[in-house]
Amino acid sequence: MAEEYAVQMKGITKVYPNGIAANQNVDFFVKKGEIHALMGENGAGKSTLVKMLFGLEQPTSGEIIVNGKKLNLSSPNVAIANGIGMVHQHFMLVPSLTVAENMVLGMVPKKSGLFIDRKKAVEITEEFSKKFNLPVDPNAKVMDIPVGMKQKVEILKALVRGAKILILDEPTAVLTTQETAELFKELINLKNQGYTIIFISHKLNEIMQITDRMTILRSGHSMGVYNTSDVTPEKISRLMVGRDVVLKVQKERAKPGEEVLRVRDLEYVNEWGKKMLDKVSFSVRRGEILGIAGVESNGQKELVDMLFNLNTPNAGTVTVNGESILGLSQRKIRSKGVSLVPEDRMLYGIAGAASIQENLISDRCGDKKLNKGLLFDMKKIREEADQLIDEYTVLCKSQNQRVDNLSGGNIQKVVVAREFSNNPSLIIADQPTRGIDVGAEEFIHNKLVELSRSGIAVLLVSADLNEVMELSDSLIVMYGGRICAYFEDTSELNDEIMGEYMLGLKEQSPEQIRRVCHE
Amino acid sequence: MLDLIFSPDFFFAVLRITAPILFATLGAVVGEKAGVSNIGLEGTMMISALFGSLVSYWTGSWAAGLLVAVLIGILTSLLMGFFAFILKTDIILTGIAVNMIGSGGTLFLVKVITNITEGTALASTTSLITTANQIPSWNIPIIKDIPILGEILSGHCILTYIAFLMVFLTWVLLYKTPLGLNIRSVGENPNAASSVGVSVLKIKYIAIAFSGAMAGFGGAFMSMYYAMGWSLDMVAGRGFIALAAQAMGAGEPVGSMISALIFGTAQALSIKVSSKGIDSNLVTPIPYIVTIIGLVIFAVIVRRRVKRQHSAAALKESAK
Amino acid sequence: MNKKRKMIFSLVRGLTAILIALLVAALLIFVSANGDGIAEKLSQTGGAMKKLLLGPLLKNKGGISVKNISDVFAAMIPIIFTGLGTCVMFSANQFNLGTEGGVMLGAFVAALVAIYCPLPPVVLPVVAILLGAIAVGITMLIPAVLKARLGVSEMVNSLMLNYVIMYFIKYLLNSHLADKSKGQIMTYEIQPHAALPQLINNGSKLSWGFVVALIFVVLVALFMYRTRWGYAIRMIGINKDFAMYSGMKVGAIIILSQVIGGLLAGMGGGIEMLGRYNTFNWTGLPGYGWTGITVAILAGNNPLFVPLAAFFMSYLNKGCSLMSTYCGVPAQLIDILQAVIFVFFAAEQFLSGYRQKLVVKSTQEELSRIAEQEAAASKVEVK
Repeated sequence: MAEEYAVQMKGITKVYPNGIAANQNVDFFVKKGEIHALMGENGAGKSTLVKMLFGLEQPTSGEIIVNGKKLNLSSPNVAIANGIGMVHQHFMLVPSLTVAENMVLGMVPKKSGLFIDRKKAVEITEEFSKKFNLPVDPNAKVMDIPVGMKQKVEILKALVRGAKILILDEPTAVLTTQETAELFKELINLKNQGYTIIFISHKLNEIMQITDRMTILRSGHSMGVYNTSDVTPEKISRLMVGRDVVLKVQKERAKPGEEVLRVRDLEYVNEWGKKMLDKVSFSVRRGEILGIAGVESNGQKELVDMLFNLNTPNAGTVTVNGESILGLSQRKIRSKGVSLVPEDRMLYGIAGAASIQENLISDRCGDKKLNKGLLFDMKKIREEADQLIDEYTVLCKSQNQRVDNLSGGNIQKVVVAREFSNNPSLIIADQPTRGIDVGAEEFIHNKLVELSRSGIAVLLVSADLNEVMELSDSLIVMYGGRICAYFEDTSELNDEIMGEYMLGLKEQSPEQIRRVCHE
Repeated sequence: MLDLIFSPDFFFAVLRITAPILFATLGAVVGEKAGVSNIGLEGTMMISALFGSLVSYWTGSWAAGLLVAVLIGILTSLLMGFFAFILKTDIILTGIAVNMIGSGGTLFLVKVITNITEGTALASTTSLITTANQIPSWNIPIIKDIPILGEILSGHCILTYIAFLMVFLTWVLLYKTPLGLNIRSVGENPNAASSVGVSVLKIKYIAIAFSGAMAGFGGAFMSMYYAMGWSLDMVAGRGFIALAAQAMGAGEPVGSMISALIFGTAQALSIKVSSKGIDSNLVTPIPYIVTIIGLVIFAVIVRRRVKRQHSAAALKESAK
Repeated sequence: MNKKRKMIFSLVRGLTAILIALLVAALLIFVSANGDGIAEKLSQTGGAMKKLLLGPLLKNKGGISVKNISDVFAAMIPIIFTGLGTCVMFSANQFNLGTEGGVMLGAFVAALVAIYCPLPPVVLPVVAILLGAIAVGITMLIPAVLKARLGVSEMVNSLMLNYVIMYFIKYLLNSHLADKSKGQIMTYEIQPHAALPQLINNGSKLSWGFVVALIFVVLVALFMYRTRWGYAIRMIGINKDFAMYSGMKVGAIIILSQVIGGLLAGMGGGIEMLGRYNTFNWTGLPGYGWTGITVAILAGNNPLFVPLAAFFMSYLNKGCSLMSTYCGVPAQLIDILQAVIFVFFAAEQFLSGYRQKLVVKSTQEELSRIAEQEAAASKVEVK
């Protein structure tokens, strides 16, 4: 009986204008009143699929049936009118408006037929907030409220628009454990009131905890639908990635040499007066990989920004091989032997519309080696690019291909090839394998280990616990802008210990932490 | 010299000269709030000015001319919007295209149209516009009898009053109405707006149409009051100056009005000075130079303010 | 998409844009035609369109007109330079619209040098043109430095500068430099040996400047695609943050791009001056800057395509002026044509449906090819 389904997406194929086929003949069926997980690695096509359900993208072929009605979801308006609401991964809120204004945006209550009725907006917000037990402050500006509350506003926004089917795109990515637990309670509460929830995630434990059924996607194809109670986490991970996720990196013991990077008492207060870095001190030595673990937004991004002069600290010192690099231009910092694999590869890592070749030489375009007098030595440049493409197994048709036509993993290989090949004495790798395929990930991991063993200092920043624990020789944990733990040897660590530090439940003594300065 | 400059007559001129810049500035303000940089204001003003003057001559009614000027402004902007939003032409390039039509293209149009209607191809409409189809002025009761103040404030073209009234109305529109809320959210976070069913496209069209309407008012002011007839390049960069006024006013209606007044003052000053026998070519560029200097000062102030706020925030935090 | 499909798409797209512009032109001519009745108007429109499209090639009485063609080439000279300058600036994402004033200033400075500097032949025109170019290059430092250091919009500033330059030159001309013995405002005549030699002496003013322009096409193309600075300019245009992170001197390169844009515009002005005139008598901005922007857009910011785009614009311009002489259609039709072609060329989504079809087709082909390969591979395994 068709009526049992809230959503039926049949035979969905989506080809983007750049030629990437994000979904291929995918079936996605969600029953009424269930929490249904949509699982898959980054780039598996989850977001594309739900974007089509919410009318943000249109399928190239296939049909979408909601509550038994075939729909042409040409815009979010159609989706909203049919009771579909979405909570996006990046919040869809207007920062300078208040919570209440954000709540009623697009359906503003009016007084005298013309003006905004602010009082009514606040009333509506409070009413829904109470009804669904999602406390928010209607009069606060969105830019001033914490992340957890922003998410509540997002859910309320969907509910106030009459959504009966809620799509949540990786809702826990930005939340603390407590906030996640709270969210789950709220979601189960909604489910009990008859709401249908589509829950996108790639965190196994969460899925096992709250979902009824799941659909698994892998590189654009559906890998089937399962009852949560029938599958084991191991099976899910196999379906998601085609093999065991637990990776073991083979590496010899590190033999750390002299200090390369020395960070002392680094402090940073952001423009809203929040302290993002609090007396951060550590050192990285030749031949070792120092990992920085921590839930995102605990100062890691700010720290990396300071090290590469993308932002200015309020206090503290940073030296590389004994020379201060604070406030130097990126050119000078690079000339001191610092390389950075940036967190956001599309923002800093590449020039999308340029060729692979052009992206590979951006840091060395002025080198004598690649120039003949005033002109480029095109032969040398082609050779250099070919050699890097070869060494880093970048899959491409030619080095003159546009770099943004490559897959995420190959784009990252281009970035890594450039950053690893300019004779660095320090490599800062910020989330080096985020959202890329397993093959590329493994390649980059091995390369990092190889380079560190050849005597390069590596600072690895990663929110992926698995990665940072496997790869690092020693490890620090950041929480609330501070270093809250240092582990000299990662081999004795496990997830539980790390979790306690990452969530701020535990903190080492200053003396223990100070050991990372190697003084 | 000074008494000549700081006379009621001078301040009257400032308001008169500011009016067309102010219209265009408000157009730029609303456009920019919705994330639409309308650099075609200059060309739009030229096109509106032409049709306004022609229609007022044909109908003998300034009101009809004004109406057509505004409508043409809106139509031109909607066309710009179509290219920018639908065909994804860079909005700046779209504006440049409108400005091309606004300069040579309007000359083509005026020749072709007058050739059909008047029998001879005219290169301007100054011979057609008389005081009869000029937009009328208004003497404000009571105020007109106050010495000095009356001389400054009373007796302006009704469009001058509308221009300053529009500052208030634009503020109300942006901050007190649902449409304004939509405009601001589309400009600040279009994804957020579209995710709740606000049509970003529609709002952008409305914003650019508004800025076109303002350019229409400004164009009508130029050809049907200020210069009494359309002639080539008569807008003379006012549409561009408006962009600078918008930036200097931090995109807010009142602040932008103040910037527009500064440019108006500079121009009034240059007219005064050239009336003293100095080569007008030496003083006419003053408003343009003031614009450059103004933008620089504004940029420096913003930089300092950001820096100060940042260090103040740091101080506050470290005091804790 | 493969290369062939991409080329087909670009071609179809460009031709469609031109076709639309011509339709607009026909419509405007039809409306403005003097005749009574539709038939007469249509025949007039036909005649005018023929003049527009073929006039630049043909003599009035038929046969190829060398004079018209050399006129077209001569008119390309300044817009090749402004087009090149705009290419460089737009490649760095710098919307500097100051080539308009730049041409005027370059011409003015070159004229002054050509009138007053006692230099020998050959040296004089070269120095005059170079000084003109340098003057504009230095002037462009104003919007460039303000943009790079303070983030002030180079677009608004360069527009303002156009006016300042124009009035400044008019002031100097009026008050100090005019030859009072002439009825109109103009400078004294340039020294005869300052004038650029002509390629053809038929009054077209097709000077050796044309050859210089073509040489600069190659030089600018080399600069943009074969030097580290041109490379940096292009990378900054694509992704400024990437360029900064990669260690490029973003501020300096932004300044460089605008100064080069200014140098080229100024050089164009100087060459136009010495190749075409013997006295400086411009009373307003020449319009070459705006046409140069159109040329750059048509050329997709690639210097090598600039001569082609400049030829096209120059041809249309000549067609319009012939049409105006012989058919009574005002020559300013060119501005409308230019604007129409311009927006359609710059329209990313123009004919996007057609492109999407090609992309989908290519992807499907690719996928089926991979599937075939996989099938073949598995067969081999089975064996």
